[in-house]
Amino acid sequence: MINSMSADKIVAEILNGNRAILARAMTIIESTHPKHHKLAGEILDKVMPLVGKAKRIGITGVPGAGKSTLLEALGMYLINSGLKVAIIAIDPSSSISGGSILADKTRMTTLLREYNAFIRPVPSAGHLGGTSRRTRELTFLLDAAGFDVVFIETVGVGQSEVEVADLVDFFCLVQIAGAGDELQGIKKGIMEVADVIIINKCDDDNKMMTEIAKNVLKNALHILKPKYKEWQTQALTCSARDNTGIENIWDVVEMFYATMEPNGKVASIRKGQNIRWMKQQIEENVINMIYNTQDIKELYSKAKASVESNKLSPRNAVETVSQYIAEKLTYDVLK
Amino acid sequence: MDGKLDQWKKLANSEVKRMGKTVDDLVSKTLEGIDIKSLYTAEDTKNLETIDSLPGISPFVRGPKATMYTARPWTIRQYAGFSTAKESNAFYRKNLAAGQKGLSVAFDLATHRGYDSDNPRVEGDVGKAGVAVDSVEDMKVLFDQIPLDQMSVSMTMNGAVIPVLAFYIVAAEEQGVAQQLLTGTIQNDILKEYLCRNTYIYPPKPSMRIISDIIEYCSNNMPRYNTISISGYHMGEAGANCVQQVAFTIADGIEYIKAAINAGLNIDDFAPRLSFFFGIGMNLFMNVAMLRAARYLWSDAVEQLGGNEQSKALRTHCQTSGWSLTEQDPYNNIIRTTIEALSATLGGTQSLHTNAFDEALGLPTEFSARIARNTQIILQEESEICNTVDPLAGSYYVEALTDTIVKEARKIIEQIDKAGGMAKAIELGIPKRMIEEAAAETQSLIDQGKRVIVGVNKYTLQKEEAVNVLEIDNQAVLEEQIASLHKLKLTRNSVKVEETLAKIRVVAKEGGNLLAAAIDAARVRATLGEISEAMEDVFGRYLVPGHCVTGVISREYHNSEKGASEFDEVKQLVDDYANNEGTRRNCQAGRRK
Repeated sequence: MINSMSADKIVAEILNGNRAILARAMTIIESTHPKHHKLAGEILDKVMPLVGKAKRIGITGVPGAGKSTLLEALGMYLINSGLKVAIIAIDPSSSISGGSILADKTRMTTLLREYNAFIRPVPSAGHLGGTSRRTRELTFLLDAAGFDVVFIETVGVGQSEVEVADLVDFFCLVQIAGAGDELQGIKKGIMEVADVIIINKCDDDNKMMTEIAKNVLKNALHILKPKYKEWQTQALTCSARDNTGIENIWDVVEMFYATMEPNGKVASIRKGQNIRWMKQQIEENVINMIYNTQDIKELYSKAKASVESNKLSPRNAVETVSQYIAEKLTYDVLK
Repeated sequence: MDGKLDQWKKLANSEVKRMGKTVDDLVSKTLEGIDIKSLYTAEDTKNLETIDSLPGISPFVRGPKATMYTARPWTIRQYAGFSTAKESNAFYRKNLAAGQKGLSVAFDLATHRGYDSDNPRVEGDVGKAGVAVDSVEDMKVLFDQIPLDQMSVSMTMNGAVIPVLAFYIVAAEEQGVAQQLLTGTIQNDILKEYLCRNTYIYPPKPSMRIISDIIEYCSNNMPRYNTISISGYHMGEAGANCVQQVAFTIADGIEYIKAAINAGLNIDDFAPRLSFFFGIGMNLFMNVAMLRAARYLWSDAVEQLGGNEQSKALRTHCQTSGWSLTEQDPYNNIIRTTIEALSATLGGTQSLHTNAFDEALGLPTEFSARIARNTQIILQEESEICNTVDPLAGSYYVEALTDTIVKEARKIIEQIDKAGGMAKAIELGIPKRMIEEAAAETQSLIDQGKRVIVGVNKYTLQKEEAVNVLEIDNQAVLEEQIASLHKLKLTRNSVKVEETLAKIRVVAKEGGNLLAAAIDAARVRATLGEISEAMEDVFGRYLVPGHCVTGVISREYHNSEKGASEFDEVKQLVDDYANNEGTRRNCQAGRRK
């Protein structure tokens, strides 16, 4: 049905608050099939001038840290303050069935009922690169649709959070105390990209542990090189279950924007992300193009076979293939 | 005997040889995971802990009463209720005139969750799945011309149990019936609500306190009233197998006894007033054995908690399984219900509800309700099964099965005990997960055709015949309820109402008996929504956290090669779809209006 609508009409409906069309437009943008690419591109071109008002917040943490509960509490707080909130929840896909349960939507039952909330589960579908491309574009769409805050939630596994940090203005890391791994984040490089670290489950019977964890973190944060010279990463505690400390989190977010926005820092963060992303995409595409050229493909597999059978050293194989590509490129350019 | 058994085995093997099988291949596995042999003999009943007892004497395997149906058959108790109190009352009186012996009230969903009919949240539910009751006035109409000192009334109410029981007591009072004379049962089993039935209101802790308050009030004022009907039925409907149903129900019962003891009550003052409620499915002998095993396990558990002989006797209501009914070719449901009713009565139930054949389609009509009722009357008055107590006792198969269920269920009960009791286990999601896994397993067996359901996955009809169902004009009920609420609020003394509601808040917060406080509020015409809300102000409203069960269907399909290849086919279809559409999402989803 949406395929028979023009991009103009789709965008007009989205701006009009038509949630069904918004959801379907998101599906078109997510699609990996070439038949949807044209319409997706048109929709994105049309919304780009309208993008920029929404705050983009990333939230990550290990499974069980209480991200969904926190998002529910924080989201409700914002809605009660009169804001419109969108959540993109990236769910890991099963490597066995390829399916994704998209269960986050079922975990945020209070938000789910709110008219001013929009929750979109996105399967990670195995490779992260594709997810971050789609997520970036979905964020644009939600921003244009008039949501004041767009959250991007991911499960903290490996590299993904660093990539997600490059999709948002402000990045929250959610942790729990008492697991003895308060500083594990340093190893994975997450703490370097976090703008705030929230220690959740500061419930009545767990208060002591969370306060200790907060102090450990605060000390560690002073040692790390700050992400921006204007902003010192903060450590906070909250209990999403008991709905305490939620206001503090949002105060810190507001403080971040108040500090960064006046000197154009938020705009430059976003610009930097867009440019970095564009560059990455070009590189990726160019490499794919080169590898998919028939003669290079053949040369590569020949070299590969030679290296495998020890007829050629890897060093010389690199030399041969690179030489060929360089000559071919020069030749094609000259021609 | 051994020689004879060998001879039988030889003979049996030669009979199935042509099918390329041996007698060992004839062993079948039940949903409970129990292996059923093709022959049981005296060997199988040697050294069983559950054998050789007498009815009316602990451990009560053969029944809680010495004479059972030979003196008085089970009570035919049909669960019903719909629309307004007036309509339901007319329906009850007609049924009582036609031979029904007890009443069982079904309330609508709004009442269950503690909302008045005029609450905008419940607009679509008023009067739908049961009768709408907003105040003591509705309750009076519901029992108009039904003498509550003679009629035993069962009420299925768990969440809004305080206002409903208060309304019942005040309605009786205004009928001129004193509290001491009330007989009947209130379900009041909150634990299984968190597990599968979902009409809880408050968090587990205050809910358990409400139950203690009710037990306390009734032991002092309503000695003949059954304060909890500990229910496995809804677990069965959610997919629990017989072993799970028994285990979780007994574990729930243990939890209630412990709560009441902790509240300072003496076990023998209330345990005899606890009754049970089981769901009876299609496996005839398994369900008979389940009831026998339940009585044994309860007797054992209550003894360990220090109860006397009377406290140890398990009395139960049963209902035929609604889950086993089919929308397709629905007249088959009459036969299913008959088999299940036979199972419940051979198992020794104290009362029984038989489902109407059209209950997979809607509420029973007068016709289908008559057939359902007559199923029981024919069993009682024509089949001659009531002439002797526990007729299946001594059956090698049934006795062995009884013993196996006891042993398997005990393992689960011990597991729950280790987790810290049923309340804790529910909080941890242990039983819910087990039931959901069992449900998914059964469904995948049906999908694969390994479990036959006539008219659904075998012997299906080319063309289904249209069946008349009872339609409730929800709009008319809603308007009537709202109008009478409006009238009630105009005519009552609102100062007194506010006073009694404030008292409920204080009692909720600081202690005292909530039922006693609610009875005062009911007398001055506080509504169900108001009383529930007063408690909600203190206790809060609860939501059970959800979990996903995964991998069960896949595991079941991979039990056979045929299943595995079917599964792979489906996976391939999904992948093809994703390749063609660029997404796994259903692009058409949300199109329905």
